[in-house]
Amino acid sequence: MRAGVNRTLAVAANAFRETVRERVLYNLVFFAILMTLAGLLLGQLSVRQDEKILKDIGLAAMDLFGTLIAVFIGTGLVSKEIERRSLYPLLAKPLSRGEFFIGKFAGLAFTLFVNLSVMLLALMLTLVLTQRRPDLGLLGAVYPIFLGLLLTVGFAMLFSSVTSSTLAAVLTVGVVIVGRYADVIRGMREVAPTIPPALVNALFTILPNYANFDFKSQVAYGDPVPAGLLGWSTLYAVGWLGVVLGLGLASFRSRDFQ
Amino acid sequence: MSAAVEGRPPAPAEPVLVTRGLSKSYRTGHIVQGRRPALVDLDLQLLRGEILGYVGPNGSGKTTTFKLLMGLVRPDRGEARVLGEPLASRAWRVRAGYLPEHPYLYDYLTPAEYLDYAGRLFGLSRDARRRRARELLALVGLERSADVPMRRFSKGMLQRAGLAQALVNDPELVFLDEPMSGLDPVGRRLVRDLVLDLRKAGKTVLFSTHILSDAETLCDRVAVLRGGRLLSVGALGELLRVDVTHLEVLASGIARDTAGLELARRAEPVGDRLRLEVEEGSLARVVAAIEGAGGRVLGVQPVRRTLEDYFFEELGGAPAGAGARGSAAWGEG
Repeated sequence: MRAGVNRTLAVAANAFRETVRERVLYNLVFFAILMTLAGLLLGQLSVRQDEKILKDIGLAAMDLFGTLIAVFIGTGLVSKEIERRSLYPLLAKPLSRGEFFIGKFAGLAFTLFVNLSVMLLALMLTLVLTQRRPDLGLLGAVYPIFLGLLLTVGFAMLFSSVTSSTLAAVLTVGVVIVGRYADVIRGMREVAPTIPPALVNALFTILPNYANFDFKSQVAYGDPVPAGLLGWSTLYAVGWLGVVLGLGLASFRSRDFQ
Repeated sequence: MSAAVEGRPPAPAEPVLVTRGLSKSYRTGHIVQGRRPALVDLDLQLLRGEILGYVGPNGSGKTTTFKLLMGLVRPDRGEARVLGEPLASRAWRVRAGYLPEHPYLYDYLTPAEYLDYAGRLFGLSRDARRRRARELLALVGLERSADVPMRRFSKGMLQRAGLAQALVNDPELVFLDEPMSGLDPVGRRLVRDLVLDLRKAGKTVLFSTHILSDAETLCDRVAVLRGGRLLSVGALGELLRVDVTHLEVLASGIARDTAGLELARRAEPVGDRLRLEVEEGSLARVVAAIEGAGGRVLGVQPVRRTLEDYFFEELGGAPAGAGARGSAAWGEG
């Protein structure tokens, strides 16, 4: 058991090292910081809205850049290894496919954690410099963003374990976009009453609802996010991740590497 | 080949790899699907301490065999035991090493980092990993490039790094899929010496190659594959019947139509000399004919049947496009 955990951690550490050495990742962090600085400039143009605009832009940048990393690095995590055959010598060692798959997920999760932390630190620093005070309430928005990004990585890995990295990226982006408008699906009953309610309910149930991870506006206005809501977000993410990673792993386990 | 025979360990007996009826086919086509057999009913035994050459032309099933053994593809039917464990078990992998064909090793890592990573997967301690990485990098001649990212490596350097990772756990059984591929003569010599060192250390090696001279130089036994089927397995001596097949006589100062030379199987001029292929029983009479005609015998060389001859004579030649008789290597398989 312990040996298995150590092997999984070894894969995770290497996946983290890979993403850190990808220049794309540095660019995204750089651009996120630029967005925060842009927010700072915009804030100076508004009256009393500067803090809100700064938080809005900062949190949106974290979400956007985090999603880009989750989709484009996430879809390559497994499929690139298969296409380049770099996993052949690894799977010949006492490393199971499950340890490899979960290790890859954990490595990118840690990358996203570090990435979000750096962006959050930059935003906090900007707030201290402009407002003379940090806002720890930002964590109430950043933590659910992180959960949403983990789910996006899960989908990216699921799709990339059954198809090419390009198609996996397209499918993952599709799920993220639909997931962010899941509430619109629920509202379809009022807009289009001819659609059977059972279909609407089924669609709403089988698609992830990213609204459960979105507290950006609330936090930008300075309203705290109740602990119960954060707890629900956590449960929702864990449940979905269990399903998505389970399916991805099952597909990865049964695959022939020709 | 004689060099390889010298210093061999006592006759190996215990099988470390046994396959029975191992078969694999791949799906072909998208709309109308069929199946192409890649390996059919492979019954193979690898004995402890031996180097078994796994040879065959393109698409003969060599790489599929390695992939099946490494768990990269699943067999349609059949079974295998490796180091006394069932194929699906991961216990034997702690004691085995594998070099895939054309290995891609993470180009963002240095070989030292890659070996450290590989060592972690075997549960080696940090000190053991560092020591092993140093030893292996020196062994494969990469000690000066230990901290250079592998994206700057040549194909040959990558192959050597791949070989090092296959040995990181000091395995007792080593699977090498085309280890000479992409290597320059120096690199090939290095790998050859390394494989011979492995045998001296009592390791067992399954070694696939399409370079027949390498198989002849290194292997105790050879398994021959064609079209996914194992055609024969045996000691090179048995397989090739290494007895002298004929003698090659080089002579000067005589014409091709000299009386007595009709005993030669073949006579062809080489510059101002004549090369004759002579049966062992006719040698004395041919030499006498040369000397009787005022010529001079410059040399007599016994000619043995080579593995390449075996392929071309007994298996009906190389597959289409694989080259004419006399080529030293086939395509990859």
